[in-house]
Amino acid sequence: MRNFFRSLLAKYMLLIVIAISLVQIASITIGLFVYGFAENVENRYLKEGIDTETIEERWHEDASHLEQISEEVIQQHFAKWKEDFPEATMFWVDGSGILREKIGSNHDIPTEWSARETASFIKSRYDGDPFTVIALMEESDGFIVFEIPREALQLPMQSVYDHYGDILIIGLLSIVLLFIIVSFLFFHRIRKRLLHLQEAMEIRDVDGLPLAIPVKKKDEIGQLEQTFNQMVDELRKSKQREQEEERLRKELIANLSHDLRTPLTKLRAQSYSISKMDQGAEWNKAIQQLEVSIKDMDRLIENLMSYTLLTASKYQIKRKEIDIVRYVREHLATWYPVFEKEGFEINIDLQPLDSSYWEVDPVWISRIIDNVLQNILRHTKEGKYVEVKTKTTETYDALLFNDKGDGIDKGSDYSGAGIGLSIIDMMVQGLNLDWEIHSSNNGTTVKIIKYHKK
Amino acid sequence: MVHILYIEDDKEIGHWVSTDLTERGYKITWLQSGENMESYLTSIDLAILDVMLPGLDGFSLGKRLKKSAPDIPIIMLSARTAVEDRLEGLRFADDYVTKPFHPDELAARIEVLLRRFQRHDEVLEIKHLQIYPKDMRIINKNNEEEILLTGKQYHLFQYFIRHLNQILTKEQLYEGIWGESYIEGDKTLMVHIRYLREKIEENPSVPTVIETIRGIGYRVKQ
Repeated sequence: MRNFFRSLLAKYMLLIVIAISLVQIASITIGLFVYGFAENVENRYLKEGIDTETIEERWHEDASHLEQISEEVIQQHFAKWKEDFPEATMFWVDGSGILREKIGSNHDIPTEWSARETASFIKSRYDGDPFTVIALMEESDGFIVFEIPREALQLPMQSVYDHYGDILIIGLLSIVLLFIIVSFLFFHRIRKRLLHLQEAMEIRDVDGLPLAIPVKKKDEIGQLEQTFNQMVDELRKSKQREQEEERLRKELIANLSHDLRTPLTKLRAQSYSISKMDQGAEWNKAIQQLEVSIKDMDRLIENLMSYTLLTASKYQIKRKEIDIVRYVREHLATWYPVFEKEGFEINIDLQPLDSSYWEVDPVWISRIIDNVLQNILRHTKEGKYVEVKTKTTETYDALLFNDKGDGIDKGSDYSGAGIGLSIIDMMVQGLNLDWEIHSSNNGTTVKIIKYHKK
Repeated sequence: MVHILYIEDDKEIGHWVSTDLTERGYKITWLQSGENMESYLTSIDLAILDVMLPGLDGFSLGKRLKKSAPDIPIIMLSARTAVEDRLEGLRFADDYVTKPFHPDELAARIEVLLRRFQRHDEVLEIKHLQIYPKDMRIINKNNEEEILLTGKQYHLFQYFIRHLNQILTKEQLYEGIWGESYIEGDKTLMVHIRYLREKIEENPSVPTVIETIRGIGYRVKQ
């Protein structure tokens, strides 16, 4: 229940209830006001049951009772009526059209009455304001007129409307306007908070995760924020777990590789010691075989480790823009003596590429080149030829590695090449490059390709 | 005699490496942990450190060593081959050799570093030349006369001697000597190499001291 009162729904319902109450209160206030007005502005004519009809009737009746018309009689008659109707104006026009007597506040009455003036007076007063009654007397006596502002005979409500109508309409409009403004502000605030929330949700921490949002209110939006924070928290924990797992995995692989290499080093130490005891050609050949196996083993462990990390996408990658031709040339400088020692014919021809700057991780590039060259070194003892070239075409730049071995599919001599090639494949893809390998009886070509940006 | 400090906890490997390096004419001090490392700092010319050690690991030892004696070259010798480990090691160490290694390879790397840090008082014999690297004196053995090099030729030859047996690209040479980045097609370096060859080669048109490695660069090999 407490939560309900904190909710936006409750707030809006409160708003509506207040608005409806306000209208009701306004109506009641107007009612009371009118009632009070009626009390104050007592309309005694209506109270006494006097309306236009009774006035008309009585005026005619009184006029017919008047005898021996003289100014005095008329004055008495007017005075009597004036007592009853203080707001009224009365006047007498005699048979010859002269204004003989007048009582009341209306001064706008002609002193001489022609037929035309009389007709226009009647016409203007018919159903008009003030309410006018004309009573004809004997021909020579003319007529007497009674007029009273209609206002004096009106209902109080009408008077209220006449007096305060504008204020009432403005008041009602203000209430409606107030309701609209308050509603607008209410929704505007909700909208603002939602937009704020959206913005806050889009902010990312240095680790790429969203940040927690400060929860200020406990309404629906507040609950949403809370849930979002919960999610962020879970996400962060999950990321931490993932990083921890990643770390453990890397550590495990690194340790495993270390633990495998240590006995291998001892093996190398023993074989080296034995190799120094020169015991003839057979002996030396066996030692050489042992050496080769140790090297192979070392390479396999290295590849296995890289492969495991690469397949789990855990191999560290740090891209930067490098001059690839220069980088490859410097890297080949370290390989040159190795091929030289094995008696290879070496042909290096690196020309500037269409775009020599590649956005790659140099460690990865070295690793790719190492794997390609290791394969050539190990598997093409027959051809003893290695060639590294650059090639630029309309669609791509490429590095070419050629050998004159008897092809990659031939013989078991290529055992262990598979994982090396898989590593090349994964790394090339990881660097957004492409590669091709063509192998025949006459040799193998490995092409590392970078397509031009379209 | 070159004095090498070697820290390795594995007895078998430690014994093998110490024996081999002693046979190669170095004085070896082999420790099984880094505990007493500091007391040797003044007397050693080079340090070889394993990474996985009891107590402080090789990385921590190496960093300390480099801080207190920046002129002693360090070789990390480890069975940890991950890229991260190599990078971590090479932040302070001068070389990173992975196990299993061939003793010839280790010896070669030691020589490179000793030369680079000028901790050798050896006399180099390259073809018909006799070179005293410390004061860069070059004697032509054919006539026992000293060859005098000037300015850039001197720097160029010194650079080659410091990077003996390494192939250097045009970019590396130019940037190493002129201290500016190399612009493709610049002939300055070629001109200076020609002058240098005219002074030191027996037959400058068939150079033997400064080899041209086609497609890569140049090399002075012992």
